[in-house]
Amino acid sequence: MSAGIGASAVASLLSVSALIVVCLTTMLIAFYGLRISRTTSDFYVASRTVPPWWNASAIGGEYLSAASFLGVAGLIVLSGQSGLWFPIGYTAGYLMLLLFVAAPLRRSRAYTIPDFAQIRFDNSPMLRKLTTYLVVVICWLYIVPQMHGAALTLSIATGLPSWVGPVVVAVVVCVTVLSGGMRSVTFVQAFQYWFKLAALVIPTIFLLSRAVPEHAASERAQSLYVQLESVNTMNMYETISIILALLFGTLGLPHVLVRFYTNPTGQSARTTTVIVLCLLSAFYLLPTTLGVLGILYTPELGATNETDATILLLPSRLFDGFLADALTAVVVGGAFAAFLSTTSGLVVSLSGAISQEFFKGTVRGFRISTVLATALPVLIAVLTSSLALAGAIGNVFAFTASTICPLLLLGIWWRSLTAKGAIAGLLVGAITCGTSLIIGIFLPATDQWWIHLLRQPAAWSVPLAFVVMIVVSRGTQHAVPENADRVMTLLHVPDHDPKF
Amino acid sequence: MQNPAAGDKRQNTNSPDEALPGRFAQQRPQRVLVQAPQDASLTVTRQPPEHTAEEFYVRQLIRSQLRLGCSVAAGLLALLVGICSLLVFWPVVSNIHLFHIPLPWWVLGVGMYPLIIVAGILYNRAAARNERRYRSISRG
Repeated sequence: MSAGIGASAVASLLSVSALIVVCLTTMLIAFYGLRISRTTSDFYVASRTVPPWWNASAIGGEYLSAASFLGVAGLIVLSGQSGLWFPIGYTAGYLMLLLFVAAPLRRSRAYTIPDFAQIRFDNSPMLRKLTTYLVVVICWLYIVPQMHGAALTLSIATGLPSWVGPVVVAVVVCVTVLSGGMRSVTFVQAFQYWFKLAALVIPTIFLLSRAVPEHAASERAQSLYVQLESVNTMNMYETISIILALLFGTLGLPHVLVRFYTNPTGQSARTTTVIVLCLLSAFYLLPTTLGVLGILYTPELGATNETDATILLLPSRLFDGFLADALTAVVVGGAFAAFLSTTSGLVVSLSGAISQEFFKGTVRGFRISTVLATALPVLIAVLTSSLALAGAIGNVFAFTASTICPLLLLGIWWRSLTAKGAIAGLLVGAITCGTSLIIGIFLPATDQWWIHLLRQPAAWSVPLAFVVMIVVSRGTQHAVPENADRVMTLLHVPDHDPKF
Repeated sequence: MQNPAAGDKRQNTNSPDEALPGRFAQQRPQRVLVQAPQDASLTVTRQPPEHTAEEFYVRQLIRSQLRLGCSVAAGLLALLVGICSLLVFWPVVSNIHLFHIPLPWWVLGVGMYPLIIVAGILYNRAAARNERRYRSISRG
């Protein structure tokens, strides 16, 4: 990985101190939260007493990962107008979550997706096992790009070797999660949303204040239009497939779902989601603006495949000296806040799943699982090199959309779903989507229809998983759980809410 | 309706308080063994529902919520796919520009978000209305 700005001593020093400030603040809040955290319920889901605003900030903080912070601007530089679909998909995915999952899932009283599978099909330990393994795979797939982001950020801003970033993230996350579990994670993440927002707002204001007058005056204003149009874009199939993957993939993200259990009622889960929509929309305007500036000032990154560095490099392209270094340091701090918050959320759900499955859900088991859950992704991240961050995360969304999403949607809304149908659909979705993504990585990116089908499988693998679940469930109608009606009642009947 | 045994908090408290005299009892923190909810709390009772009328209202509620969710989702999907195909089949829109930035960039980069938020707020209200209607029917 090349050091993009011949990182001067001052710049490195500022970036490292920004990094240290973020890590220390994260850990301090974690320790403060520890005092309140008492029971397992606290440890896993913050006693379900977090008010909507806090919870929404925490969801925003958790959701805005490396892909959003660095990847969106990078993708806009790489693929122009098509890159704009990614933040839209990330936000609209939350709308889908609101429409179909938020309130029923909160009422289900489940902690994790495997718990939901067990509530819905209490006679199928196999389905529970399968969902646990899927959750573990999804979390790992999602953590690795965060680690790649950390490696990229630190090596570009300070010139340190690329293994340092992932190790720093892993250590801080382990300490945070081990010390206080979910309660402190909620505090940490609510803080990190606002921190990330500030870390993009400040550079964006400075950069615009420099770029806008410069452009209005010069004839480059005319060239802006040409430059925006000149970036190559994705074709229609790819775009629609990505839209589907992002819309339906959000439904199945384990670390996002776990957040909904911290709402007091189903209705408050919905209110929280609407606030999240506002927070995400406000955030995504910034990487979009920075991506447009990136097309103007760092267009050469598009050729080198290092577009994820756009936001990190922009300050030094428009400013010199201390101001450039300081703005870069702010971005580095924000980026690490993004890696830390997403990774800690993923690690909580990952170690929750592992400890329930292998350690009977004790706190000691949770702690062992936490260490396991962070160690492996660091290893993978150090051994592999990064793809485009937003693209890598897009693949994870395609995978969850083809597996967990149909299970949740049909499980919540269709009483005739059977455990056998769910297992068949999960397996078909996971195998088809997984293999085609793996094959797609090794194929050259030529413009043939079957290569597009393999590289962006969501448009066919998601409907396929749904169809398999429905057909197999129809074929095994005798096996509809006896308590299906009871479970449906539990999921959909409004719970007691003091407002009514 | 809900299983009363399935509390969120399961603590096994072995309180040593009796062994300690007077004011020390208050100072000694309670020992709490923390453990995740065991399988039993995740089981929903298998008995058939008591009232068939109740069951009917629940099905109506589920159906109306599903219809609501599907119509908002279908609208959103139609809008996104529509914009996507408009840009592919009618690229002339890119020639319109505002502050030197082509119109599609404004629509995709800025314009979609307010729509998503408004859809969310409207859905939220409608879903709460469905639940209120269910409440008033099932009580009455």
